[in-house]
Amino acid sequence: MELTDEALCQRVAERDEAAFDLLVARYQERSYRLAWSILRNAEDARDVSQEAFIRLYEAAASFGGRAKFSTWFYRILVNLCLDHRRKNKGWRLWVREDEDPGSGESLLDRQPAPARDPVDALGRERTLSALWSAVDRLAPQQRAAVILQVQEELPTAEIAAVLKCSEATVRVHLHRALKTLKQTMERR
Amino acid sequence: MANHPETELVPYVRGELAPADRERVAHHLDDCPDCRQDAEDLRELLSQLTRTAPLPPALHWGRWRAELGEKLEARRARARAWWWRPLPLAFSAGLAGVVLLLAVWGGWRTPTGVESLTMEEAMLGGRFGLLQQYSVVERLDLLEDLDLIRNLDQLAGTREG
Repeated sequence: MELTDEALCQRVAERDEAAFDLLVARYQERSYRLAWSILRNAEDARDVSQEAFIRLYEAAASFGGRAKFSTWFYRILVNLCLDHRRKNKGWRLWVREDEDPGSGESLLDRQPAPARDPVDALGRERTLSALWSAVDRLAPQQRAAVILQVQEELPTAEIAAVLKCSEATVRVHLHRALKTLKQTMERR
Repeated sequence: MANHPETELVPYVRGELAPADRERVAHHLDDCPDCRQDAEDLRELLSQLTRTAPLPPALHWGRWRAELGEKLEARRARARAWWWRPLPLAFSAGLAGVVLLLAVWGGWRTPTGVESLTMEEAMLGGRFGLLQQYSVVERLDLLEDLDLIRNLDQLAGTREG
């Protein structure tokens, strides 16, 4: 029978290396993707996602099991990302500047298996760029809330637990963020 | 229409509201075309964001895991270094504490009464040149001891006589 994340975390607290490896395998891609979505820099995302697992290893004993493991781990990761951004000149615009030099990949190239009309490709590319640029310009908490909602598909209650705020606050973050995004797209 | 359920629209379109709240918001949307339009726009926007979330640049996961292993080992080694060397650490801390204490005590120490009197005497002595004639001053003490000063008049009379 496959062990739950919570059970694995308890074993990590007892310094079970195999349990740690399993948790890493389950969450490594998610943690890197989420870190990248917030930081928009591959190198930083790599470092922060690794740091999150180190913190998990060190603090596994403090995981009480009251929350879901994923919520607890996301909280560690998102806090690290927000701290990292605060330390690194705050909230910047870097949709283009962060991309790996020479990769030449556009936003559309990174979409999974698109069946798109070539005629609309350019316009769609621009629209997506504008939309995600607008996401990048959101305030940190709003941005984190949007990413956790649309990318990780977390419910509002879980986002609140990750961001350590009330559900009502998350609703306000999401409302304001989406209103801003909508206005940005309408202005185009 | 008052009390538009603005912040409840996102949880509403995502089906997260409790049944009673969902009912209330749905009822409001039936009567409020603006909110209905907002809810539709939000649904579309969320859907677009979900579909188009950009993917990060690809990683070499083997290398990532190896780096994680190295970083974790380095952190463990640092933790071991901390716990396995308590004596030098305690000694250094103790020594630093003693030095600090001495520095603070020495800096704050005020002269005692005897020391301040000695200093005063030295200053006065220096001013009046008494210390230059220390041998004379020393003899004055000696004369006092011999009770000669009290009998100086007699001594003078004896000399005159």
